[in-house]
Amino acid sequence: MVEIKISGKTIQAQVGETVIHALWAAGMAESIKTGCAGGVCGACTVTLRYSDDRTGGTELACMKPVEAGMEVFPCPVEADNPVAPVADPEISTLQSAFPTLNRCTKCGSCTTACPMSIPVMDSVLRMQKGEFLAVAEDFTTCIHCGLCRFVCEDKVKPHNMGLWVRRSLGMSHNPVIERDDKEEDAEKEWQYLLGEDRELRLERARQFRQSGRVEP
Amino acid sequence: MMNWAKESLEKVEASRSFRLDQPAPLPDPSQAESLLKKFHPDYLGHERRLEVGPNAGGQKFPLELAELLEGDSPLEQDYTPQPEIETDVLILGGGGAGATAALALEGSGLSVHLATKLRLGDSNTVMAEGGIQSALGADDSPRRHFADALVGGHGENDPDLLRILCEQGPESIRWLSQLGCLFDQNESGKFSLRSGGGTSIPRVLACRDYTGLEIMRVLKDAVRLTATHILEEHVAMELVDDGKGRVTGAILFNRDTGKKVCVSARAVILATGGSGQIRLQGFPTSNHVGATGDGLVLAYRQGCRLIHLDSYQYHPSGACYPEALAGQLVTEAIRSVGAQVVNAEGIHFIDEMAYRDVLAGAIIKEIAEGRGIKTPHGKTGVWLDTPMVDLKKGAGTLANQFPGLIHRFERYNIDPAKQPVLIYPTLHYQNGGIRVDSECRTDVAGLWACGEVTGGLHGKNRLMGNSLLDITVFGRKSAESVLRNIPERGPVTLTHLKRFRTERSKIEGGTISPKFFPEASKMKLQPTLVEKEKEKEKEEKSPSSNFEPPNPFNF
Repeated sequence: MVEIKISGKTIQAQVGETVIHALWAAGMAESIKTGCAGGVCGACTVTLRYSDDRTGGTELACMKPVEAGMEVFPCPVEADNPVAPVADPEISTLQSAFPTLNRCTKCGSCTTACPMSIPVMDSVLRMQKGEFLAVAEDFTTCIHCGLCRFVCEDKVKPHNMGLWVRRSLGMSHNPVIERDDKEEDAEKEWQYLLGEDRELRLERARQFRQSGRVEP
Repeated sequence: MMNWAKESLEKVEASRSFRLDQPAPLPDPSQAESLLKKFHPDYLGHERRLEVGPNAGGQKFPLELAELLEGDSPLEQDYTPQPEIETDVLILGGGGAGATAALALEGSGLSVHLATKLRLGDSNTVMAEGGIQSALGADDSPRRHFADALVGGHGENDPDLLRILCEQGPESIRWLSQLGCLFDQNESGKFSLRSGGGTSIPRVLACRDYTGLEIMRVLKDAVRLTATHILEEHVAMELVDDGKGRVTGAILFNRDTGKKVCVSARAVILATGGSGQIRLQGFPTSNHVGATGDGLVLAYRQGCRLIHLDSYQYHPSGACYPEALAGQLVTEAIRSVGAQVVNAEGIHFIDEMAYRDVLAGAIIKEIAEGRGIKTPHGKTGVWLDTPMVDLKKGAGTLANQFPGLIHRFERYNIDPAKQPVLIYPTLHYQNGGIRVDSECRTDVAGLWACGEVTGGLHGKNRLMGNSLLDITVFGRKSAESVLRNIPERGPVTLTHLKRFRTERSKIEGGTISPKFFPEASKMKLQPTLVEKEKEKEKEEKSPSSNFEPPNPFNF
């Protein structure tokens, strides 16, 4: 067991468990929001400091294993109002959707704050240049915890812009269906597969999945 | 690092070149059945029949779930519902199915409230990794998709629901794309299609290993842009009815104020998701914090029949080490691109693309027969030989395709590109649920249901990629059906609950249900904001407060 502090209150925690699970065990689950406890919902944002010289910072409590002497502080980030995406995005449309785009001072706080190791500041600079494919790639792993926006002194909204770019690009892509689905074949195949009896259905499905067609 | 497993790791490394082009056995139907019957948790008899409600005396339910279904409501006996919110449609659940239903109702002229006990998007959807199935490939068709899913589900699937799912696949991908979901594409701009366990042809679209995250963040963003009234931190405690058999709203618990809110609705869509956090037989789970089966309990009290709830999906590859990641998902897609399932001796004991239930059974068998690897925390697992992916598909493939896997393990000095990860089956998906018709209508008028809370579609074993398609197809279907069939507003009573309470009075003791939160979390229905306010007051009064938050960014 080790001691950690949550908002100044000392609790005992088991080595190997995460901050969230330590809070659960201590009956203090409500002190930090939790959604998935699996590192993808972004609810359990915290700041922390270590008892030694290491730099603390922002973390997801559900992903952070406890350490002796660690001090944890809830850092909830409210959701922001979204901006509707547009197909075929351009710098000008991004700029009007997010007027603070060019206010970035390149301080790097957003990149430091990101629990997913996204190169956030670099990506904001790519947004300014209209390099949207690269931006979409950068934000592939974004969980929208909001920390990059929360720490920005100049009200730049990196994750909101990242999602706007991704959605805008997604809307511009028309899915290609390679399949050549012949209607009359389709109905015949359904009749074959939808037999009344469960055993028969199962047997026919076993056969059908081998080749994708009714074998004569 | 995993030095405690050094000996076994060396064996795994030594057998790699042999395993590279040597296929592992794929169990034939009789071997598969034997694996299931002897080793799969569903088949071990941890179940019983119910004594009350519409399923009384019928099919069996897992013991933990049976207790909840027969439980009493947390509502006080003398509570009288007084509607404070009037809406046309009340959606319960803020995951993929609920959000999809809300989007499909936008512009209909109906007022829509969506209540979620956590935040919008906190759900199993956001945690889904591997992908979404849709028959888009050249030699594929919705019929082939149907055949694969039916065989996977042991033929128990409701064929009408399954046909809808498969036929709506391509249209659903178009819908998600138009909303702005970005699925992985190949060089020629077509969607990349992966294989999944039990797919006879590559059919799984993905966004790396964050497919659910991609879909959920887009749905969430889109819902926030609609007129939907979003009630976050609002727990659905009970459904209300008109006294004549129709559901007419719900009692919610506002976690911020600690007060109950009664909602009168013309239609209720139940999209409350699964129940992995019940932790059947003590299994770890890959589910989110809210997955406690609340919707099953609420619907059962109203008189809805449940189906296939003797069947749960234990995902074969849950993380087993490090302890902090125990139960979390290691996506099946990693197996589909070459990661092998290997025992302590370095033997590739089964084809890793066997159906999920069979593979889970085979892993439990290896461990039961002493060929597992024990962690310092006393858990036992087998290896998922992830470095095989790069050996088969080229250096860098694993890191490129599965950034989530790398990100989660690197903190523990484990690089899955160089070392295997230890896995053990994890409680992943509620195969069964509320019985619905092809329009998502339950047995009770006024109540629709969609997504993981429903049963029948997947039979007794769901294929990878069919749940993300399920929420998309049936989230929309439920909304369309509500639009066509919405009744007039009715009175709000607790008649169904009273009847259920009378019926259950024959049971000695019993529990209060739903549980709303995982047992381990010790969370209860109590105000969070009020508590916080109180603490804040205390804090302000004491000048010696020593916990000023750090300000690392000079914010």
